[in-house]
Amino acid sequence: MEPGDARKTLSQLRRGTVEFCVLALLRDGERYGFELVRELSDVDGLVTSEGTIYPLLSRLRKEELVTTFWQESESGPPRRYYRLTAAGTRALADFTAEWARFRASVDAILDGRKGSDRHGD
Amino acid sequence: MQSSTEGKGVIAMETDRLVDDYLRRLEAAAAHLGRPRRAELVLEIREHIETALREEDAASEAAVRNVLERLGPPEEIVEAVEIPPEETRAGTRRLETAAIVALLVPFLGWLVGAALVMLSRAWSAREKLVGLALLVLALVIPAVGFVIGSSDGVSEPVRVGAPDEPTTSTGDVEVAFMFLVFAIGLPSAVYFAWRLRRETATAA
Repeated sequence: MEPGDARKTLSQLRRGTVEFCVLALLRDGERYGFELVRELSDVDGLVTSEGTIYPLLSRLRKEELVTTFWQESESGPPRRYYRLTAAGTRALADFTAEWARFRASVDAILDGRKGSDRHGD
Repeated sequence: MQSSTEGKGVIAMETDRLVDDYLRRLEAAAAHLGRPRRAELVLEIREHIETALREEDAASEAAVRNVLERLGPPEEIVEAVEIPPEETRAGTRRLETAAIVALLVPFLGWLVGAALVMLSRAWSAREKLVGLALLVLALVIPAVGFVIGSSDGVSEPVRVGAPDEPTTSTGDVEVAFMFLVFAIGLPSAVYFAWRLRRETATAA
């Protein structure tokens, strides 16, 4: 496989998983947009450009996985806060379970442990 | 270059220019999105820049450049916008298809097509203007030509397809006229179809 292909696959994978990382960050409480964006981008290899998170946030809102509200801030104009909805919590739980399985399977195959795992090693 | 002795106004102007340029590029890249979506995106990015600079507490040119670099190219941000499937496929896409087909049907179809185009949210205001201007132009130019051409004998021009017409020359004229009438909506329909394909291509 060309290195370019791996990059493309990873960028698609990132695209699909970052939204659940957003939901996971909101699990412990509401956060405002800028805070979310900075936290995600400070994690290595997750987000290539911060700006792309905003369209994602607006999609999560439209899908009603998060709700937003405005709150005054001490420094500057009011901020838009994001909060997990019940549907968001469910989506996150589903993803977390599936992701664990998926990651274990991919790791097993990449490490060449496929056979032994199958036989319940 | 930017020593502290330099006037603060100069730095502020330069950083404002950087931010303005960036937001303008974003606006241009997002031109194909609907107005509400574009406005929301630009507002969010603007707020991000302002918050980031407030946290930096010194809005130097370097700070602004860093903030913009972390945001990434505006084109990349717009690429991350996914048009919801109900807007591109089943839902409004049916409306857009109906509009394009209607534009190909003379007279009543043009009116219906134009109305459907105006109702649709898949095309920007500018695209609607261009597309409908094509229709009006295609309508006006041959009409003027027809009026000039048949200024001597004003007959009923809309009498289409009369098979028992005695003179062949009149029949030919009518066939040509029919083709012309059907071709009037063509440029406009092709234009709208082309813009729609572009839109869905970017959304995918």
